[in-house]
Amino acid sequence: MIDPSIKGQELDSVSFPIDRSKLVELARAFHDDDATWYDIAAATEAGFSELPVPPTVSALVDHWRPGGALSTATAIGADLARILHGEASWEYHAPVRVGDELTATSSVSDVVTREGKRGGTMTMVMIETRFTRTDGTLVVVRNDTLIETGAPA
Amino acid sequence: MSTTIASLPTAPVPLRADDTMTENQVGPLSRTDFVRYAGAGGDLNPIHHDDEFARAAGMPSVFGMGMLHAGILGTRLARWVGPNSIRTFTVRFSGQVWPGDVLTFAGHVDAVDEQLAEISMTVTRQTGDVAMSAKATVLVA
Repeated sequence: MIDPSIKGQELDSVSFPIDRSKLVELARAFHDDDATWYDIAAATEAGFSELPVPPTVSALVDHWRPGGALSTATAIGADLARILHGEASWEYHAPVRVGDELTATSSVSDVVTREGKRGGTMTMVMIETRFTRTDGTLVVVRNDTLIETGAPA
Repeated sequence: MSTTIASLPTAPVPLRADDTMTENQVGPLSRTDFVRYAGAGGDLNPIHHDDEFARAAGMPSVFGMGMLHAGILGTRLARWVGPNSIRTFTVRFSGQVWPGDVLTFAGHVDAVDEQLAEISMTVTRQTGDVAMSAKATVLVA
């Protein structure tokens, strides 16, 4: 059960590298085997000065959270049996480059509760994660909406 | 099955209202596809790879993590408009994706001004159910 007073709470701050061996894994997981995603020679040939990265590359931070992708849901006190991922959005401010060391800082930007259609209270938690380079440059802002559905009566 | 498509644009591309993304299908999805993304993206929630766990949670089987089809859609968008042209990308999850599903990735330009295009996208199961809808703002040539 999520306590609405967590609004504004800082969650974690995690640093992680953008490395090529994870980019090849992401490319294959996304059913796109084009070497432009992971081989600098192929990317150069295609006209890129840096390896391009997929729009959801910042998800790699989950490997560096001690509790993995679920650690945010755990940190906000959600019941893991009732938590859904409703929405995710990304704003791109500067390129993510191979070799970057990024720091992801998460906080609870909002908490909204309402009566669920099937009874119980539905709680929506908005999490903002800001990704910065070591020099402080903001590269990506990710916002997630997590939904804890109402507990059965 | 996975369709290979044109090379990745290095710069913004010309886009006009009502242009569409080359429709792309992925599937039938297997448990291996889910496990591959679990390893790549770091989502080891057992509900996506452990059938016994998923059934105990009241699900008929494991199901795909939303960030898998969000990621596939993101790469398809990047291939259409260029990976460095995307300014915002928003996905809304509206249903689960199951083993055996064939997903269709589609996109449409809603509006274009001098610099930016507004794009709507969907990920649709073979049943016609929309598993995810998405929006993006991208730089245009």
